[in-house]
Amino acid sequence: MNVVLTGIHRSFGKNNAVDGVSLELGPGVFGLLGPNGAGKTSLLRMLATVLPPSSGDILLLERDPRGPAARREIRRRLGYLPQSLGYYPSFTVVEFIEYFALLKEMPSAAVPNAVAAAVERVDLGAKAKAKLRTLSGGMLRRVGIAQAIVNDPDLLLLDEPTAGLDPEQRVQFRALLRSLGETATVIVSTHLVEDVGTACSEVALMSAGKIVFRGTPDELTARGAGRGVGDAPLERGYSAVLSAARS
Amino acid sequence: MIFQNEPGFPGSSHDSPGGVDLGRVWTSVAAEVWRRHPGRIERTAARLLRSPGLARALVTTPSLLLPWLISTVVVFGAGALISIGPGQPLVWLFAPAAAAVGIAFAYGPGIDPAWELSSSCAVSHRMVLLTRAVAVFVLNSVLGLLASAASGAAVALTFGWLLPMTAVSALALAAAVAARSAVVGAGAGVAAWVITVLAGQSASGQLTASVANAHAYPPYLLVAVCCAAIVMYAVRPERGLM
Repeated sequence: MNVVLTGIHRSFGKNNAVDGVSLELGPGVFGLLGPNGAGKTSLLRMLATVLPPSSGDILLLERDPRGPAARREIRRRLGYLPQSLGYYPSFTVVEFIEYFALLKEMPSAAVPNAVAAAVERVDLGAKAKAKLRTLSGGMLRRVGIAQAIVNDPDLLLLDEPTAGLDPEQRVQFRALLRSLGETATVIVSTHLVEDVGTACSEVALMSAGKIVFRGTPDELTARGAGRGVGDAPLERGYSAVLSAARS
Repeated sequence: MIFQNEPGFPGSSHDSPGGVDLGRVWTSVAAEVWRRHPGRIERTAARLLRSPGLARALVTTPSLLLPWLISTVVVFGAGALISIGPGQPLVWLFAPAAAAVGIAFAYGPGIDPAWELSSSCAVSHRMVLLTRAVAVFVLNSVLGLLASAASGAAVALTFGWLLPMTAVSALALAAAVAARSAVVGAGAGVAAWVITVLAGQSASGQLTASVANAHAYPPYLLVAVCCAAIVMYAVRPERGLM
């Protein structure tokens, strides 16, 4: 198992952002759904070793991130796309991705090829030498995805990765996710249920810091039969589970 | 076509009829074309710091314009503080702390747009911060030396503040690299500075007079409260200790 969470709590003052989450995840694409404020980003930040839990145990890639040496090893094998990723405007696409490849302690000799492969995978080859300040929002998001996958991570965490991508790009991105999920554990936090339906083998739905559903997209769809609101079957399942959790 | 899953990329295994993986060849060509060749300073820094990532952080520090400007203003402001209150150990001890806090703020979560991402990387963001502090002092020292060559007014600031702080921050980074711990490095830097300042004050007989000065008690107390607040802020659970 690449991710083992046991009774994770995270509070900010009196607000319980994550409230007793337990999960075990192996390779595959795992979708994390939920409304705004459900705790998805806090959970992802804990998995990214950026935020420590208030209580509970985390094992990532069979290591406890509380130890500095273990945390460093985890981070070498981690890819992370934060919800609001900032950029250095004066860097080019290649420079930005290379910088984070080096901070992930990739071997220097492997960096140029890894950067080129990541740039090509998000189809930014034509913009490889462009300054980040000249790119559109969708392109910047793709730069963020490229830096997340540059080290071919075993654990890939993506927070709202399709924000800013156009429909064609989103379709292609889902194909990339499926490809990455063949060997790595990919966790995608999103509020767009169509991303989950086509790309994820498993899905969890969070509400008020708790996981209120876990299963396949088909199982979530089945929960909405005759209930829930939404245009797509999966949306109806989403809303039905959410309504049940709130009531 | 975007987000390619074609030969040559991880997860693909399709070769051309001739047995040549064209995708891999293309990636190698692109890598060669896009490859950035580090300059001499960066190569040397990578060897000394034992980290190409830290070396890259060192040389790119001035290119982050807003953090750079804030850091420079704070560093020169702290230098001016020293010239206002010469002979007071309080001032000598407080000025580096003010400069360090300013640099940490400028290149920290408040201003650095990619801080969250840096925090998830294997190279500790505290080490990156220490490296950036060295870059700030080194470059400002160079500016100070140039200004000193042009005008005598900058000599005191350059030789009395910028160059010593460059040495202290470099010592801190060296200790951090050797110990693989930014906290150890920062501790070594602080210790070196405190010993230097207090030794100098004692030698000139000013230490007792300064410490016994009743007018200095309120600012001493203020500094102590500020330091306590900074420590509490740094270790509060929301900030995380990871």
